[in-house]
Amino acid sequence: MNATDKPIANPVVVLREEFDDWAVLFNPDTADALGTNPVGVAVWKRMDGKRTVADIVADVQAGFEGAPESVSKDVDAFVNALSNLGFAGLELDRKAADA
Amino acid sequence: MPETLQTPLPAVAPRVMRAPRSLVLEITARCNLRCRYCYFFNNSAVEYRDLPTDEWLKFFAELGSLGVMRVTLAGGEPFIREDLAALVEGLVRNRMRFSLLSNGGLIDDEIAAFLAGTGRCEYVQVSVDGSCAEVHDSCRGKGAFDGAVCGIRTLQRHGIFVAARTTIHRNNVHDLENVARFLLEDLGLPDFGNNVAGYLGACCANAQDVLLTIEERQQAMATLLRIEEKYPGRLVAQAGPLTDARMWRRMEDARAQEAPAFHNGGRLTGCGCPSNKISVRADGAIVPCNMLEHVVLGHINRDSLADVWQHSPALNQLRRRPAIPLSDFEFCAGCPYVPYCTGNCPGLAYSLTGTVDHPSPDACLRRFLEEGGVLP
Repeated sequence: MNATDKPIANPVVVLREEFDDWAVLFNPDTADALGTNPVGVAVWKRMDGKRTVADIVADVQAGFEGAPESVSKDVDAFVNALSNLGFAGLELDRKAADA
Repeated sequence: MPETLQTPLPAVAPRVMRAPRSLVLEITARCNLRCRYCYFFNNSAVEYRDLPTDEWLKFFAELGSLGVMRVTLAGGEPFIREDLAALVEGLVRNRMRFSLLSNGGLIDDEIAAFLAGTGRCEYVQVSVDGSCAEVHDSCRGKGAFDGAVCGIRTLQRHGIFVAARTTIHRNNVHDLENVARFLLEDLGLPDFGNNVAGYLGACCANAQDVLLTIEERQQAMATLLRIEEKYPGRLVAQAGPLTDARMWRRMEDARAQEAPAFHNGGRLTGCGCPSNKISVRADGAIVPCNMLEHVVLGHINRDSLADVWQHSPALNQLRRRPAIPLSDFEFCAGCPYVPYCTGNCPGLAYSLTGTVDHPSPDACLRRFLEEGGVLP
């Protein structure tokens, strides 16, 4: 995953927000589920195919007081994990895709 | 008469999720069979009528918006609904997985292919109570066995997971080993579930002919333990003689060794359902469970499910049930098994005693032993 990649949430995946902002992501096509914390929820909600990974990292740093230095690596790992589970993909560059 | 609780319930119910993860929906009050021990029929608290398609579809959209993950379609017989495909499409559209509880007799290739094609069907449970028509049909009616077997084979042809379920009663308790062989070897199912006919619904009128005697209960426990040994991991039970045998053995060992109380023992902890799921009757009434059909919490498309789930006083009362100590009950006075007992199912407790906040007499080890029962 590059910082310029634009991840996009799989629209079939359900985000179940529970109390305290913890959440479960559930893919009804595969029955896979993944628990996540409030930062993961924030990342998930920003995976719209328009924001880059770097944009999302910047949002997390701005939105969560005391975000650690490792946030960039953590977001990258989380998006990769979502991608490997089929919970997310990458918005293709239209020009590159057409070419 | 309900007993008066000595211990006041906690003022605040345990915290729950924002919405249930799963629901059981009785999408129809109609059935092609009239089984003699059916929990669903002959319940004076229930209005037996079906909702139109659009009512369910509207509700499914609400479930989708709440992030409900799984729905079980029950009845009555869910395959009797002519609009079943439209209902399932509504579930799929709203990002849910689903399963169905059926007697198998109305399942054909067309609907099986449709269900398989959605990719979201977790399983279809088909009731099989005997290894042959004579036993199976004794409580379910002529032709039911052939229908169930045909339904299972149809589902198998389309690659749908079949969860066979045997309800144990007086007419099949002698046939359980044949049932196991039939389901696991002849039909090649990976496993099968079992439970026992309980004092609910239609069974109340047929209790003498249907409910196991103490001796038959003993026989069922011993047979199921033998089957489990012969087919390791292929016998599934969440209630009934097999779980009684396992639990009561543990309780008796603990009592004999004067072991400390079990972590969930000594209180009415026997049911965790109110914190995880909720049910809807065929007429749209929201109820805590299909075994507590009289506890109406609200109505779909009129009351917000999230609001009912989080704030219903009756549901929160049920969630506080695990705080009630068994020592509060005259029924449990002097019982040496109290530290290890969970009081079991509130639905059966209500059916047998008239109060939900009571241990179920059906699950009482002391009573079983006093009536001459012997643990296998």
